Amino acid sequence: MDVTGILNQAFVGLSRTVILFIVSSGLSLILGVLRIPNIAHGSLYMIGAFMAFTISRLFGGGEMGFWMALIGAPLVVALISLFAERSVFQHLYEREHLMLLLLTFAFSLIFGDLVKIIWGGDYKSVPVPQVFQGFVPLIGGLPFPTYNVFLLVCGPVIAILLWLLVNKTKIGKISQAAAVDREMVGAVGINVSWVFAIVFVIGCLLAGLGGALVAPTVSVTLGMDHTLIMEAFLIVIMGGLGNIWGALLGALIFGLTQSLGILVWPQFGIIFPYAAVIIVLLFRPAGLLKATW
Amino acid sequence: MLQIRSLNKSFDGFKAVNNANLDVQKGEIVAVIGPNGAGKTTLFNLITGVLKPDSGEVIFKNENITGLPPHEICKKRISRSFQVVNVFNRLSIFENTQISILSREKRTWNLFTPSSKLAVEETNELLRNVGLYEKRDRISGALSHGDRKVLEIAMALGGNPEFLILDEPTAGMSPEETTRCIDLIKGLREKFGLTILFCEHDMEIVFGIANRIMVMVRGATIIQGTCEEVRCNEAVQDAYLGGSDVCLM
Amino acid sequence: MVTGFFSGKGKIWWIVALVVLCIVPLVLPRFYVYMLSIILLFGLLATSNDFPLGFGGLYQLHHAVFYGVGAYATAIVITKSGLSPWLAFLIGPIISAVLGLIMGLICVRLSKLYFGMLQISLGSLVWAVVFRWYSFTGGDDGIHGITVPDIISSYQGAYYFTLIITGLSLFIMYRILKSPYGSVLQGIRDNPVRSAMIGVNVKKHQLLALIIAGFFAGLAGVLFVVVDNTVFPDMLFWTLSMETTIMCLLGGWLTFLGPMLGAAVIILVRTFVSTYTVYWGLALGIIAGLVIFFMPNGVLGWFQDVFKRKANLAEVKE
Repeated sequence: MDVTGILNQAFVGLSRTVILFIVSSGLSLILGVLRIPNIAHGSLYMIGAFMAFTISRLFGGGEMGFWMALIGAPLVVALISLFAERSVFQHLYEREHLMLLLLTFAFSLIFGDLVKIIWGGDYKSVPVPQVFQGFVPLIGGLPFPTYNVFLLVCGPVIAILLWLLVNKTKIGKISQAAAVDREMVGAVGINVSWVFAIVFVIGCLLAGLGGALVAPTVSVTLGMDHTLIMEAFLIVIMGGLGNIWGALLGALIFGLTQSLGILVWPQFGIIFPYAAVIIVLLFRPAGLLKATW
Repeated sequence: MLQIRSLNKSFDGFKAVNNANLDVQKGEIVAVIGPNGAGKTTLFNLITGVLKPDSGEVIFKNENITGLPPHEICKKRISRSFQVVNVFNRLSIFENTQISILSREKRTWNLFTPSSKLAVEETNELLRNVGLYEKRDRISGALSHGDRKVLEIAMALGGNPEFLILDEPTAGMSPEETTRCIDLIKGLREKFGLTILFCEHDMEIVFGIANRIMVMVRGATIIQGTCEEVRCNEAVQDAYLGGSDVCLM
Repeated sequence: MVTGFFSGKGKIWWIVALVVLCIVPLVLPRFYVYMLSIILLFGLLATSNDFPLGFGGLYQLHHAVFYGVGAYATAIVITKSGLSPWLAFLIGPIISAVLGLIMGLICVRLSKLYFGMLQISLGSLVWAVVFRWYSFTGGDDGIHGITVPDIISSYQGAYYFTLIITGLSLFIMYRILKSPYGSVLQGIRDNPVRSAMIGVNVKKHQLLALIIAGFFAGLAGVLFVVVDNTVFPDMLFWTLSMETTIMCLLGGWLTFLGPMLGAAVIILVRTFVSTYTVYWGLALGIIAGLVIFFMPNGVLGWFQDVFKRKANLAEVKE
């Protein structure tokens, strides 16, 4: 296997990394600030993808459709999550993690079947918009899908935006404080409940965004939530809870070990990312970067 | 019996215990006092293996026990009660105490004999000694604060210790509960010949039962001595009158 | 605490239940007997999950791995080696127990959620290996048509075998929980710091809990092989682990029989909901959500709380 092949595979891995990062960062925010292990995050990703399909079709399936879907799908997911948070989760913040984890699992079951009911069991596909169709010659002349280049640009942009949000805005700083000591933040007069709602919604919006972004590159089907959520969780734990850069680092490790692993050992390549997580957790049980708790 | 030599412990640059030295003779009751945050609990954690010191030694009966894990320390017959009540909330008083005794009897790997048949008499006797026998079937999570603190002590006694460390045993207790607790401690010491190291904020108690006192302020030891020596010491008066609302009589 | 269910007039109900369970295959049609077998073995699986979870305080989030590995080990020994199936039935749980030990050694250094997540990663790795190793495990297809000894190959035979093994296993686990080790384990659940301070080596005791849990989960896997004659990779997937944990929660994760009750409820609901609609996940999600919200200690836990409140009230009146 030559260098160009490896590099190409690495770039494929990087595109996957972007999606993993976007979804995982949302999960990391929710777990880091609200201390909710949100298993329904995978379902929200899936809903994002299916919603992108519907919205794209609504607008004719072309350019317009894609961009409307990219904006609309995450918003729909955000609304759903706002509803869930206000009606259910906001009453349960004091409960044990195990209960919250199982509750979000219950939600994922409900969402999974709702998707089945609304969209049925077939594969759906979202067309790649005209402007991103085709290939771009990469190193050594190997063609690389233009859409993936778009993803590779999105990744860092979203990372920077998130970092700004968490570290430079008022809401970001309040949520970081609330992650460590929610009582204190409440005692200072801030409405912690709304802070949590906002963080939860932003986290879920990211899941929907990930789903909308990935939609043109895969077959949108049931079950896409199951594989993704475990990967996202492992990335978040590997990177450090609540840490955006940690999520990026974790996604990089996961995405690259996955794609390069398959190259090196096609049959069992998929175990490499899990092995990477285990190794990291053995040496840094709290994750690679600083966690919020 | 217990010697602490130059113990040091820092957390992220904050020196919680600074060059602590202490000698406790067999049969003594020694008190550690100091304002909040002086490092008393950290000191106890260092002795009992909950924390590892950065440097220094803890020697018990001529054996170096520095840095041993808590369950090993317990086996050397040093027992401890915690400042914040640390019991098994979902279990009854009887079960709480019984586990402590079963652990001492090294029966924790017994998988098949029903617990209800083991160590019943010893548990009941211990409960009678501390005055919790009547309430032995109550779930410990549902007890009054005073009873829970007594249970703390009972569990520490379950290990049949020679050396007992009590971290603020009367914190949060009402006056009657406090008197009962102090009488209990004095009685236990006489009955079982225990050596006791404790810390308290209530100066009446401290001057009432301690043989010697060690004063800690901000991690450092200011003075060790008898009640008289400590009472009249200027540095101690400074430390207390200068920032705490505890009054030395 | 493990409330004594086997005392006084409670005994009569046990005998009745046992008699009923014994005559079931003689009167009910095959489908119901099969379903009852499944309930029993999942009850065993859930109880073994609750052993470290509800009684040990460990976040046992990927218990299905031990179940699946036990089943696969048994299946592979039966189909690929010349050894007697009875030996295979023993090898399965032993391998699960060993896996429990290995995974335990790796995970037990961490606590709570981190323990659970590391267990999930290790378990996912095992699942991935089973899923891809087509030549050895049948990969995606699994293994079908596994032959079991004649005496237990009929649906009634399989049922009685399941009943006996489940009954024995529950009895053993109950005895262990009532033993000094069981008390210590519950103490560790409630307060590991206190436990260490009274001389208990917390990590070692937790490890034993994981070995025991792994063993009985593997045994449940063996029972599935006997009842269904198949194994497939989904038996090791994390969603099954979550369902098993929900069984524990539904029935009452701090009670001994709670998990069995939870398993019965979930399997019954699943079977009957499935006859009307394919959206069984929706039903389970709603039920689980309601239970977590309103009865966090589960059904039996709720009864226990009510019972205790009445007892306390009576005590106060005296």
